[in-house]
Amino acid sequence: MFKNDIIVIGAGVVGCAVARELSRWNVSLAVLEAGSDVAEGASKANSAIVHAGFDAKPGSNKAKFNVLGNRMFEEVCRELKVPFKRNGSLVLAFGAEDEKHLAELKARGEENGVITEIIDRDELRRREPNVSEEATAALWAPTGGICCPYELTFRFAENAAANGAEFFFDAKVVKIEKIDGLWNVECADGRVFKARAVINCAGITSDELNNLVSATKYSIQARRGEYLMLDRDEDGVFSATMFQCPSKMGKGILVSPTVDGTVIVGPTAEDILDKDDKATTFEGLENVKAGAKRTYPALPLGKVIAEFSGLRAHETTVGDFILGEAPDAECFFNAVGVESPGLTSAPAIGVWMAELVGTKLGVSRKNPSLISKDVSWWPKTREMKPEELAELVERDPSFGRIVCRCEEVTEGEIRAAIRARVGARTLDGIKRRTRSGMGRCQGGFCTPRLIEILGAELGLPPEAFLLSRKTAPEALKKGVRDVKSEDGMFDVIVVGAGPAGLAAACAAKDAGAEDVLVIERDDAPGGILQQCIHNGFGLHRFKEELTGPEYAQRYVDLAAERNIPVVCGTMVLDISPVADGTCNVTAMSPRGGLKIHRTRSVVLAMGCRERPRGALMTPGTRPAGVYTAGTVQRLVNMDGIMPGKKVVILGSGDIGLIMARRLTFSGAKVLACVEIMKKSSGLMRNVVQCLNDYDIPLLLSHTVTNVEGREHVTGVTVAKVDDAMKPIPGTEIHYDCDTLVLSCGLIPENELTKKAGVEMDPKTRGPKVDANMATNVPGIFAGGNVVRVYDLVDWVSRDSEIAGRAAADYALKSRI
Amino acid sequence: MKMICISCPRGCELDVEKNGNEVVVTGNACPRGEEYGKNELINPTRMVTGLVKVAGMRKPLPVKTARPVPKGAIDAVLFAMHQMTVQLPVKIGDVIIPGVAGTGVDIVATANM
Repeated sequence: MFKNDIIVIGAGVVGCAVARELSRWNVSLAVLEAGSDVAEGASKANSAIVHAGFDAKPGSNKAKFNVLGNRMFEEVCRELKVPFKRNGSLVLAFGAEDEKHLAELKARGEENGVITEIIDRDELRRREPNVSEEATAALWAPTGGICCPYELTFRFAENAAANGAEFFFDAKVVKIEKIDGLWNVECADGRVFKARAVINCAGITSDELNNLVSATKYSIQARRGEYLMLDRDEDGVFSATMFQCPSKMGKGILVSPTVDGTVIVGPTAEDILDKDDKATTFEGLENVKAGAKRTYPALPLGKVIAEFSGLRAHETTVGDFILGEAPDAECFFNAVGVESPGLTSAPAIGVWMAELVGTKLGVSRKNPSLISKDVSWWPKTREMKPEELAELVERDPSFGRIVCRCEEVTEGEIRAAIRARVGARTLDGIKRRTRSGMGRCQGGFCTPRLIEILGAELGLPPEAFLLSRKTAPEALKKGVRDVKSEDGMFDVIVVGAGPAGLAAACAAKDAGAEDVLVIERDDAPGGILQQCIHNGFGLHRFKEELTGPEYAQRYVDLAAERNIPVVCGTMVLDISPVADGTCNVTAMSPRGGLKIHRTRSVVLAMGCRERPRGALMTPGTRPAGVYTAGTVQRLVNMDGIMPGKKVVILGSGDIGLIMARRLTFSGAKVLACVEIMKKSSGLMRNVVQCLNDYDIPLLLSHTVTNVEGREHVTGVTVAKVDDAMKPIPGTEIHYDCDTLVLSCGLIPENELTKKAGVEMDPKTRGPKVDANMATNVPGIFAGGNVVRVYDLVDWVSRDSEIAGRAAADYALKSRI
Repeated sequence: MKMICISCPRGCELDVEKNGNEVVVTGNACPRGEEYGKNELINPTRMVTGLVKVAGMRKPLPVKTARPVPKGAIDAVLFAMHQMTVQLPVKIGDVIIPGVAGTGVDIVATANM
């Protein structure tokens, strides 16, 4: 039994905003959340827009709180240290009909007290050069903005907790009744909370809670919106949030920058019966794509990194936010039907609701000097200046160890997110608090590390977080050894100690380069071959058949024979060409902190990464149990962990084929390998020795059309596709499985390359190189999978040796 | 009999026919293909790579059969690997299981740990 003055039900953005405001009053406060974290409902999956407020019906709660909330955002986000940008909104008109509608919106805005302006086609094109030429005019609302909704929710919760609010998760309310003047709130697991007042901020289920206590019944319709997220590469394509004029065709699809530098596209609007159904659908994603192309004809589908859906809580009887005390249930307060513009309105609803409830209960405000401003903020290393970062890493080396390489999130940040008052307890919790796993590889590389940190911080086995991994403890002790060249200038710095990097380093040394340094982000050299324990490597290079670790060791030994230093656990963050033709290479490690190395030439050898699920746009839910083949390979071969027992493989790339056999060897049942193309994308030898040998069916011209399972994968649907690669209705096959493995290709990893200003080849997705593997930037060379994805490691080493020799030549010439 | 040679990534399409006591292989680009085709008809063999447990660590040790083993023996080879726990240190080429599962072929380490 828990007794408080006030219970807030729901830890979404509204519940947490209300809790934060009430925590400034002299009350005891409990927040009950049915999910396992804050922002688990609509607050984690919406458009992330701070609406200007011209759209809502004048006189409605939506209009009032939208406009009030919008004005509060600068201050609230400054206090909570949450990113916010007033980038302005544009509503596009496509023709005369739409333009009439713009005028109506403008007039409605004036009634709501929102200033807007209609701009013509030329002005629109001047401001937003990437907008469709079909757009004839637009309504400009300078007060529109963008914000991170889950970070806002999280910081609201942290500040509330700092001021005494208690949060209870997995607390699904099933019963509310008044006994002896106190509300008794009972949860599904039997916990009972008592309080003088209850505030219902339960989003999609807020109607059900109201209906438990009041005769005034409400009804919430779950309205699903599907979205696509585009890679950071698209940062800057639009500066404003691009809406479309609502029309008979629907409300339109928006295209908007986010505060994280990605681009969000969506949503659809589909009324659904199941309030838990957050699956994406083939049709929905097609509609998002088609709608977005009206605004942004050049929409690059190859840049999609994730797709997701969220549920809006649309109230059908009133059609507005229902805010205030229930007429027949004293001290039961509602925030029902808070759909868009709910994020914008949340700060204002919080203040208004706190005033209402505080006054009703006759309690006073806390003395301002007793109100904590703490929001458990931690530094975001990605945004820090080099000198600040260097100082931080010196104080706490965990801020020098990058865990999520796509979003450059460090271990220190992840630990801080777990240690916060309302700390992360799940992989998703870490993701939303730190962005780890939100980048272009979508957790492919960092998941094993995250579960390990979670396990250590929370005293649980990592498997508890789905999977596990154990690093050698000495890994922490490894860092940058102090490697110095005599004149402080290296001849060649090689980025990456895989088969490409080590081959390049050896060749450079053999070609006369004296000071060669190899920098590796992993804790050991060898690159991805360390986890490729199957045979088939080295027939050309070493004239014998080796396994991956054996091939890698040959090159580790060759580098050691040549006394080439290889520093591990060190991530290169930046390569900048200097005017004198040399380069500065900035690298970070837990032990060495942030260092800038000077070098005459650089060989890029960062390898490649896998295409994540998001890039494939597979419809369905987003449960645990979906992995890329390389992630499974790491888990099984390096970490000794089996991710599942019944497996379907999507894509027939070589790693997927190899993993079909490996999983079979390790006791799993591989039900099928599904390939959308007419032939396998992997080598025929692998089809023979990995699938045929073990009677694993290869379904060509098939694809996965649905992924099922809420928490964990429970099954997939597979269908035949036509020549246009569209699924053919009626050909569906269902598989019960607990794991879906994706093997749909590799992409060169070129974030550093682009930062260095190297010209890229859109076809290979690697740098453009000449016959000497030289890029267009003098002194920068590249070798291996960073240039293009190779079938054979032997050719990776061969071409990287060319790069190494050329880099050495360049360095030796520039010495003179 | 048509088959794909798995000796190297090239994947030649072989035609393997029995002519009396002699096996004739065509379609191969190298002598390894001829050998593979003959074996595949008479006694198909495979290299088996796998993992064995390491005492006191979660990380397993990668291993392989030193030579190809008969296809029919793969299950027994895997079983022997799964039963095995090794003590560190181990170097590449160290024999982990001598003459595995009656094949006369050793299981050897493929990584230094």
